[in-house]
Amino acid sequence: MLPKKVKKRASLLAITLLASVIGIFFILQSLNKNILYFKSPTDIKNNQNINFDKKIRVGGMVKKNSLIIKEEEIKFIITDFNNELNISFSGTVPNLFSEEKGVVAEGKLQDKTFFIADRILAKHDENYMPPELKDMMKNNAK
Amino acid sequence: MFKLLNLSNLFFWIEKLIKFINSIFFILLLVALSFALIFSPPDYLQGDSVRIMYVHVPSAWIGLASFSSIAILSLAHFIFKIKNIKLITKSIAPIGLMFTCLALVTGSIWGQPTWGTWWAWDARITSMLILALFYIGFITTYKLINDENKADKISSIIAIIGLINIPIIKYSVDWWNTLHQPASIKLTGESSIHPSMLMPLLLMFFVLILYCALIFLMKYKTEIIRIKKKNLKRL
Amino acid sequence: MIQNFLSMSGYGLFVWGSFAITFFACGLLYYKTLKTLKKYEREFAREINELSFERKKAVIENSKIASQVLSSFSKTI
Repeated sequence: MLPKKVKKRASLLAITLLASVIGIFFILQSLNKNILYFKSPTDIKNNQNINFDKKIRVGGMVKKNSLIIKEEEIKFIITDFNNELNISFSGTVPNLFSEEKGVVAEGKLQDKTFFIADRILAKHDENYMPPELKDMMKNNAK
Repeated sequence: MFKLLNLSNLFFWIEKLIKFINSIFFILLLVALSFALIFSPPDYLQGDSVRIMYVHVPSAWIGLASFSSIAILSLAHFIFKIKNIKLITKSIAPIGLMFTCLALVTGSIWGQPTWGTWWAWDARITSMLILALFYIGFITTYKLINDENKADKISSIIAIIGLINIPIIKYSVDWWNTLHQPASIKLTGESSIHPSMLMPLLLMFFVLILYCALIFLMKYKTEIIRIKKKNLKRL
Repeated sequence: MIQNFLSMSGYGLFVWGSFAITFFACGLLYYKTLKTLKKYEREFAREINELSFERKKAVIENSKIASQVLSSFSKTI
């Protein structure tokens, strides 16, 4: 049998841990909006009071066949497969930026469908494979 | 059980283990490095920059695993008050701090060519930074507080509070929108890393784990000598 | 071939940089840990040597660790 002192300490610890887990859960819940690194096009569509002067980040996939490069300006559409958002950007993009890949754009909303970005970050997925394998998969898909 | 935990027996085994690890370490390191830098293929999307993964991912795993073990051992110490447990947690801490910082630094170096930024305040990266702060708190309690029993108690509390941060780091990429990609290697289910890249990753992880074991044993040995030295009058 | 290996198709600075930082940090921690260990061993051995003859004998008999440190230390000098 465990000594009484040990039991007392253990139960004290269990209670403290439980309380702090619940506490942290509620803190995170209330911070939820601020923890998000970027908003999706759906978030923007559903948001009633958008501050158009504040810099925000939006993210999603670059829509297939939507990328237009005109001299200095790059235009494309970010999609989360439910809603879309038009992006305009002038500057250099990261190497990994391309169609059908993840992207995060930092800038200001002009209206609910048009966003002017002053910074583009590429977001890659969790899949890693050699180039030959990717080519094979592409051929199989055709 | 108690015979195994006896410090002088432990001391004997520590010596043997250190010698053993020293003898095989450099060969394994060479093998792991040649796979990571030469034989593994580049990624279809990221090209050769994917090789940073072979130091970044093991570092992050070690940082997380070290803190989890420190926290769980601290829980045990808080309940059972066995001094030896505290010596072990003290010996793990520097390794954990170093690898957490390395994960942050190599991640930043990896982020620049792939994402296009050195740093982002997204949930994964921020929670990892908080982990590093917990490590620093844990280690500095021993530097700041001279009364060792008091320092043991305070560092245990820091570790136990820090335990809550661990699942947050792990699941941050699933719970919130982050710039960091979700985990490639899952506890259950198939990993999304091709075997030709998974193998060097696991090899590097193994080599770094051996390195950690080496540092841990040396530090633990130092702690044992320190305790013996302090109690020399009672021997 | 070698050129390719060093440049890492343009990512050379990043790849080599992160590997270099990792191994430099590992080396530094190893060196620091070893130095502290040696320091404690040396001090422990010195403290035992400073004891009176009977006390020293008793300590060595009672503590395997003490005798081990003392013997390994006197070997290294």
